[in-house]
Amino acid sequence: MKNDMLGVIFSENPEASMGELTSLRALAAVPVGGRYRIIDFMLSNMVNSGIIKIGITTPVNYQSLTDHLGTGKAWDMDRKDDGLYILPPKDTGESNVEAVAGIEILSGITPFLAKSKQEYILVSDCNTICNIDFDEILEKHLENDADFTLVYTKVSNLTSKDVRKHILLDLDEDNNVTDMHIYPRKQVTDNSYMHMFITKRELLMDMVEYASTHGKHQISKDVLLKAVNDNMKVCACEFSGYRRKIDSIQSYYGFNLDLLKKDVRDELFGLETDRPIFTKIKDTIPTKYAKTAEVENSFIADGCKIEGTVRNSILFRGVHVAKGATVENCILMQNSEIMENCLVENVIFDKGVILRSGKKLVGQDTYPMVIGKEIVV
Amino acid sequence: MRSKECVAMILAGGQGSRLGILTQNVAKPAVPFGGKYRIIDFPLSNCAHSGIDTVGVLTQYQPLELNTYIANGQPWDLDRTNGGVFVLPPYTSAEKGEWYKGTANAIYQNLGFIRGFNPKYVVILSGDHIYKMDYNKMLSAHKKAKADATIAVIEVPWDEAPRFGIMNTDENMQIVEFEEKPAEPKSNLASMGVYCFSWDVLEKYLTADEANPESENDFGKNIIPAMLGDGLKLMAHRFDGYWKDVGTIQSLWEANMELLDDQPGCDLDDENWKIFSRNPVKPPQYIGEGAIIKNSYTTEGCEVYGKVEHSILFEGVTVESGANVKDSIILPGAVIKSGAEVTKAVIGSDAVIGADAVIGSTADGANNDFNNTKILSDDITLIGPGVNIGDKKEIAVCSMVTADIC
Repeated sequence: MKNDMLGVIFSENPEASMGELTSLRALAAVPVGGRYRIIDFMLSNMVNSGIIKIGITTPVNYQSLTDHLGTGKAWDMDRKDDGLYILPPKDTGESNVEAVAGIEILSGITPFLAKSKQEYILVSDCNTICNIDFDEILEKHLENDADFTLVYTKVSNLTSKDVRKHILLDLDEDNNVTDMHIYPRKQVTDNSYMHMFITKRELLMDMVEYASTHGKHQISKDVLLKAVNDNMKVCACEFSGYRRKIDSIQSYYGFNLDLLKKDVRDELFGLETDRPIFTKIKDTIPTKYAKTAEVENSFIADGCKIEGTVRNSILFRGVHVAKGATVENCILMQNSEIMENCLVENVIFDKGVILRSGKKLVGQDTYPMVIGKEIVV
Repeated sequence: MRSKECVAMILAGGQGSRLGILTQNVAKPAVPFGGKYRIIDFPLSNCAHSGIDTVGVLTQYQPLELNTYIANGQPWDLDRTNGGVFVLPPYTSAEKGEWYKGTANAIYQNLGFIRGFNPKYVVILSGDHIYKMDYNKMLSAHKKAKADATIAVIEVPWDEAPRFGIMNTDENMQIVEFEEKPAEPKSNLASMGVYCFSWDVLEKYLTADEANPESENDFGKNIIPAMLGDGLKLMAHRFDGYWKDVGTIQSLWEANMELLDDQPGCDLDDENWKIFSRNPVKPPQYIGEGAIIKNSYTTEGCEVYGKVEHSILFEGVTVESGANVKDSIILPGAVIKSGAEVTKAVIGSDAVIGADAVIGSTADGANNDFNNTKILSDDITLIGPGVNIGDKKEIAVCSMVTADIC
């Protein structure tokens, strides 16, 4: 049964604004958690749920994403049958703005959907980070004999600014969706849709075809809400584990710092459930802590060389912190170099940033400073 | 099958009995090294970087873990459609079946495998050493010299030369004499156990050697002397990098610790000659509040809350708060509980050291029952894989513990 579900992941999310971090790469390819990219979590979730055919839609800027995914080997998706499919946009001769709308993307990959053998399809955004078992959700979907099953989570006390980023669900006592509030101004319920749903592949294709030929763009409104309004059986399935949506610099920073908590790491990296998060292998050497190193409460990938002080920070592969330098509350991406006697606090360094000796860079803890890729300060 | 210019054969069947409990259930080439590697990663990575894409790995002793580790050869880019890595255990045939009797016999039994690739040259490697070497350079020298065999040699200190197979050469590096462990060496050029043979020559000598009932079927003892005796052209190929036999607990410990030197023994941090290994799929390491970690090498999946100095932690090791690890090698998945003291020890994979236990104790009251100076020639303490040491237990220095102590 597991093999009977196809996965589709959107590598972009029009609602996310990540500034500098997505100026050169797709949202899905943004580095997180020391050695991962955002896509690794959803992709590993699908693989760990037994899904063997996954399509990743790549409307824009997909060079670094395709470089990361390769043939899908790191996820065991380099298969003769099925496996990983990277789905670049169809060239419509129009601007890319519409190409990132859900209906256009799904409509654009119709040949891929039509050729797949799987009866069911799971459609998900890439940027909600969690460790979730979709096999369980498929089982519930079948048990309920549902047309659609939406994954949701409980939210509380949303600010009026935050609530506008949510799609809230009205549920009856059997967890059937009775109405959807798409980006509302007030928090009318505490059930927030997680942008993951399961349905039948052919049903989705029909509904996308209808929406597309009627000038509609949004999956939430023009497929899911339409299904509710057309009295289809739309069920909801709660996910109550750790999850964090990365859609801004602040949430990016917050998610990374969440990894300093043991319970978050244990759950997210599936250490007890044997549901690991896979990523591209780089064969970096272990991390070397020098005699002068002072390191506390930090999450550190392989290949780093630490001679200075590091606290409350996330270090990606190959970061060098020289003697006398202090790094606090920072996210330092791959191959960043902090030279001697520097001080950095509340800063996000993109890949390959070099900070020359004796420099001081301090951001706000509520609004971290971002230094773009390969900049020399 | 398409022809290959050169096929490599790695001798990986050795027991490595001097590694004691570490090789009770695994072959020596599968022994962990350097935080995230196994010994076999070195010859396999060397092959990958030397452009040798057809590799036979001869296994015999406890091969299961090694087989699983090598599997399809993907970590070393040896999952080829044409060529790749092949694990070659002993087998039976219609007439007979036998174990590999010696290094030469192991290759002899796989002549059919090598013939399938119709090579011009065969490189024979041992799976026991830590070194980075470009076999292609040796092959080029072999071709240039129009040699029948080329043997890699390394200069060793004169006082250690009697422990090695020594090559005596003329001024052109042609080998004139081979002496196995000479009491009074005439040269300090030791054989590294890395051979390059012209295939037609090797095939002939292996066949002749097999027909000789007196032979021990060993490259060093039989094949090389026979070739020299017949006046073939054997060249020594000088290698001047780091090379270490990690056949004893002492040398394994040293080779690991040399990674921590300011000028590391085997420099693993080499973009152009990465040592590849099978990845454990673990998150980055976490260094906790109150932890102290200095002069150490650690890798993915480790959680450190205590004190770690001059040590190597393999993947997934936990050092709880108040624990103190010094001058030690902690193999994958081991747990050092709070307050435990671990000094100059090798802790086996998935072993658990109980709270406030002392490993490598010099105190009078320490448990002395496991003293083993045969395996542990120096002041190292060895805890076997999966062994549980109970809370507050004190294990004396120079012990080899092979079963739980509660």
